[in-house]
Amino acid sequence: MNRKTFLRSAMAMAIVGAMAGTTVVQAQGKQEPIRIGAIYLMSGSAAMYGKFAQQGIQQAIDEINAAGGVLGRPLQVMMEDSQGKAATAIQAARKLVYQDKADVLMGLDSSGVAQGLVPVLPELRKPFIITHAATPDVTGKLCNKYTYRVSVNVHQNMNSAAEVAAKTGKKRWTTIGPDYAFGHQSWEFFGKYLKEKMPDAELMKEVAFPRFGAEDFTPFIDSVMASKPDGVLISVWGGDMVNFVRQANNRGFFDQDFEVLFTVGAATEVLTALGDQLPEGVWVGTRYWYGAHDNDLNKKFVADYKQRYNAPPSYNAEGAYVAVYAYKAAIEKAGKVDGDAIAAALKGLEINAPTGALKFREGDNQALIGPTWGKTGPMNNEDKIRSLTEMVTFDGQKITPPVDPECKL
Amino acid sequence: MGSLGLALLDSLDIGLLLFIIAVGLNIVFGVLNVINFAHGALYMLGAYLAFSCINGLGMPFWLTLLVAPLGVAVLAVLVDRLMLRFVYQREVTDSLLLTFALLLILNESVRMIWGTGIHVVEPPELLRGTVNLPGGIRYPLYSLFVILAGGIVLFGLWFLFNKTRAGKIMRAAALDRDMAQVLCINTRLVITGVFAFGAWLAAVGGVVAAPMRAIDPGMGDKIIIESFIVVVIGGLGSFPGALLGAIVLGLIHGLGGRFLPEINLMLPFVGMAIVLLLKPHGLLGRRASL
Amino acid sequence: MVSHEKTMNANRAEQATGSAQVRQAGASPNMTRGAWVVGALVLILLVALPWVAPYFYIFIATEVLILGLLAASFNLIFGYTGMLSFGHAAFFGIGSYAVAMLLQAYQWPLLACLLAAVVVATVLALVIGFFCVRLNEVYFAMLTLAFGMMVFSIAHQWRSVTNGSDGIAGFSVTSFGLGLDLQLGNPSVYYHVVLVIVLLAAALLYLICRSSFGLILRAIRQNPERVAFCGINVRAYRLASFTVAGAFAGLAGGLMAPFLRIASPELLHWSMSAEPVLMTILGGSGYFLGPFVGAGMFVLLEAWITSMTQAWMLVLGIILAFMVMFFRRGLLGTVLDWIQERK
Repeated sequence: MNRKTFLRSAMAMAIVGAMAGTTVVQAQGKQEPIRIGAIYLMSGSAAMYGKFAQQGIQQAIDEINAAGGVLGRPLQVMMEDSQGKAATAIQAARKLVYQDKADVLMGLDSSGVAQGLVPVLPELRKPFIITHAATPDVTGKLCNKYTYRVSVNVHQNMNSAAEVAAKTGKKRWTTIGPDYAFGHQSWEFFGKYLKEKMPDAELMKEVAFPRFGAEDFTPFIDSVMASKPDGVLISVWGGDMVNFVRQANNRGFFDQDFEVLFTVGAATEVLTALGDQLPEGVWVGTRYWYGAHDNDLNKKFVADYKQRYNAPPSYNAEGAYVAVYAYKAAIEKAGKVDGDAIAAALKGLEINAPTGALKFREGDNQALIGPTWGKTGPMNNEDKIRSLTEMVTFDGQKITPPVDPECKL
Repeated sequence: MGSLGLALLDSLDIGLLLFIIAVGLNIVFGVLNVINFAHGALYMLGAYLAFSCINGLGMPFWLTLLVAPLGVAVLAVLVDRLMLRFVYQREVTDSLLLTFALLLILNESVRMIWGTGIHVVEPPELLRGTVNLPGGIRYPLYSLFVILAGGIVLFGLWFLFNKTRAGKIMRAAALDRDMAQVLCINTRLVITGVFAFGAWLAAVGGVVAAPMRAIDPGMGDKIIIESFIVVVIGGLGSFPGALLGAIVLGLIHGLGGRFLPEINLMLPFVGMAIVLLLKPHGLLGRRASL
Repeated sequence: MVSHEKTMNANRAEQATGSAQVRQAGASPNMTRGAWVVGALVLILLVALPWVAPYFYIFIATEVLILGLLAASFNLIFGYTGMLSFGHAAFFGIGSYAVAMLLQAYQWPLLACLLAAVVVATVLALVIGFFCVRLNEVYFAMLTLAFGMMVFSIAHQWRSVTNGSDGIAGFSVTSFGLGLDLQLGNPSVYYHVVLVIVLLAAALLYLICRSSFGLILRAIRQNPERVAFCGINVRAYRLASFTVAGAFAGLAGGLMAPFLRIASPELLHWSMSAEPVLMTILGGSGYFLGPFVGAGMFVLLEAWITSMTQAWMLVLGIILAFMVMFFRRGLLGTVLDWIQERK
């Protein structure tokens, strides 16, 4: 063959050789670590969720390992990117369990991914703690004995949103939500719970569901303002919320006299990005607000997190942190590192979390926690985000609807 | 005026920003027969560079508008010299594939360099706040600026292609590259220059968009399909077509979102398909090329 | 002037890629015997895989087989007929949805579901293809992209039928059909089922490619005008090629649904359409088995690289760039070309 082809082939072989040469050989430590497999959004627009989760996990692992580990063994985490796709997450879970020998699993930001992955878990026979995805189905019709959740689901969040809404006394409500299951379900459940608390509430026909990831919300902002509601439930999140708020500011959306509820608005990455652009006086909700819990565990958690990462912890970080500790407790209770045993040990488990005592309900493995809602107040100059006033943290026992009859554990 | 006027103004605003972003794609295809899949990533890079310049280095917005797109143009020259030169002579599908590879590389690089967080850039002092328009509408000043900027780009391009020698050379190369070469036009330089110019335009779009949009690692992917739709509707290779396509898409988004919400996701693609089936060269097509 | 430029570019393209022709295996007797031996070894390895390889590789292999079939179906349009489609995932996805919906609602035997998937995908390909094959080159690509995204949008928004963004999950595969009692829930068993089906489908596809139909397709790729002058209805052949490719893609999609236990809109997105394109380029569009090799490369690289770094897309982009620039014939193509040159 000629020189050109030879050079190219040599280059190719060199590249392949270099890649093969950098294969990492697993060092066999004296104490085999307990492996946690974590599947989160690590790429794309919402990649910071995975990053926050990783930070929370790492903080928990460092604390636990420094105190001697679990059953004398250190913890180790392996992160995988779900890419927001159920197919990718399922393959990642299989890889974590069969290839990387994960002992326990956790993760999931996206509800769609959770819907796909949860039915597959019984085959993997490893416990899975969901720390973010809010779809009710995974503790409803898709529930199984391996799936647990430490974060609020849409029911819990919307029930509390309806409480907040009912207290304002406003009657005519509309919504702006992303056009996929999360946006629609948020509105559907909010409507149901609001009607229970305030039977004369009116759920307007004119609603707005911009496509998820739309960068221009101006048509929807205009149409909602024109329809003259008393209150607006807004379930856009992440980058969409940042865009929405900035564009809404420009249109004078927040100067109107309707109440505004952001269902997942108290997210630190959004508040950091918006700074003082998020006006005062809007209601924002979150499953965990770092300033809402006055116990020692939370104070320490927040202080350490701020020192490590220069920012207050987001709810995703706290959820992941709690899940690691939940596993610690479950493994110690089970006495061994075995998938089925740990899954059984998680049942009805109660642990101390930064939010207080946290218990997995036996009927559906959902943690009985309540979200925190607050009104945006003056800027917190130390953390450079808005502070929350009129904070109310709902009691998990009271705000969680009864077990879905379709869940037969 | 009132509500319809506002909707139209919004469509114009969205549309003209799209125009600035997408017109570079059109020009590159018209002259080079290359579909730059990485065009959206170059736009994103422009926005991120604007963020670094304005928030990181404290540069004023107007200076950033000058500097950041140049940075992206330099990158484009490198890409052309190191990568694209291998595929210019091949079928157009090869350039599509290579620029797709470039897209993957750029996306990941942006994420590695700037991280995963959402970033925000403020409009320059001069353009903050709102103005009162007839009909009782309060409209953001910056959005009006975007419309103006779109108009400037449009005029600038018309002037470039019709009144300057560089523009005429580009049009010549678009029509018949071999003939242009025979006429001693340095096609190598023209090719690199046009590609860099297309990237420059994308980056200008990025800088202009930065104060309006949250800057995150997914913004390139969001815009590339939009850009494709714009250039297809308007006509591949036609820059007035890009304007028409952008406005049509702006209208589809604005009005479709409001009046046809159940199918609003599908509408832009339906529009794209209709144009391709009835007038494949776009609404303004190759007849009005460049 | 424009068409003149196009023909000159096409000529240069042929020279640059080393030949637009798809090489046929069996250039010399030695080659054929060698090829048979290699093929037999590979087959034995594939069948024995669950017993010789670590457990996880069963899933890898199943994914490679399914995506390989998808990529090979794509290559019928791309490598053989010369059209770049960016909407091929529409047929893959609709096959998945067909199987998922049938399993969830009626629990049909798998074979019946797969048949339904093929039928649905074929019909969709016929409809979409009818509109698309009128166009050339980049316009064809754009229109297939548009149609593919239309199907995606419908799946995403038609919540009452497709369950929207959450997709269809929570179904199980019970029986296979034909009176065969197979434990389809067992990944090893499912792998073998997929292996048999993909082998049969690939063999059928290969026969189609080697037939006179395939020959005409290749001629159309090289010079559609000349073929038209021979009195052949180019558009009809393109449509046939597109439809056949869609049918096989639907079969692949149908096999994917029980494997993933979910059919979701991402399977219809243009980023999914890009995967068979990437795999075909990686493996080589000039040989029938190229897409399968490419699928193997893609899946293995992804599994391997994501273990080491988060920047999998970056590595993929670099590799793809190298392949397009220097190894345009793909891995299998470059290797086989090199072997043939040495003879």
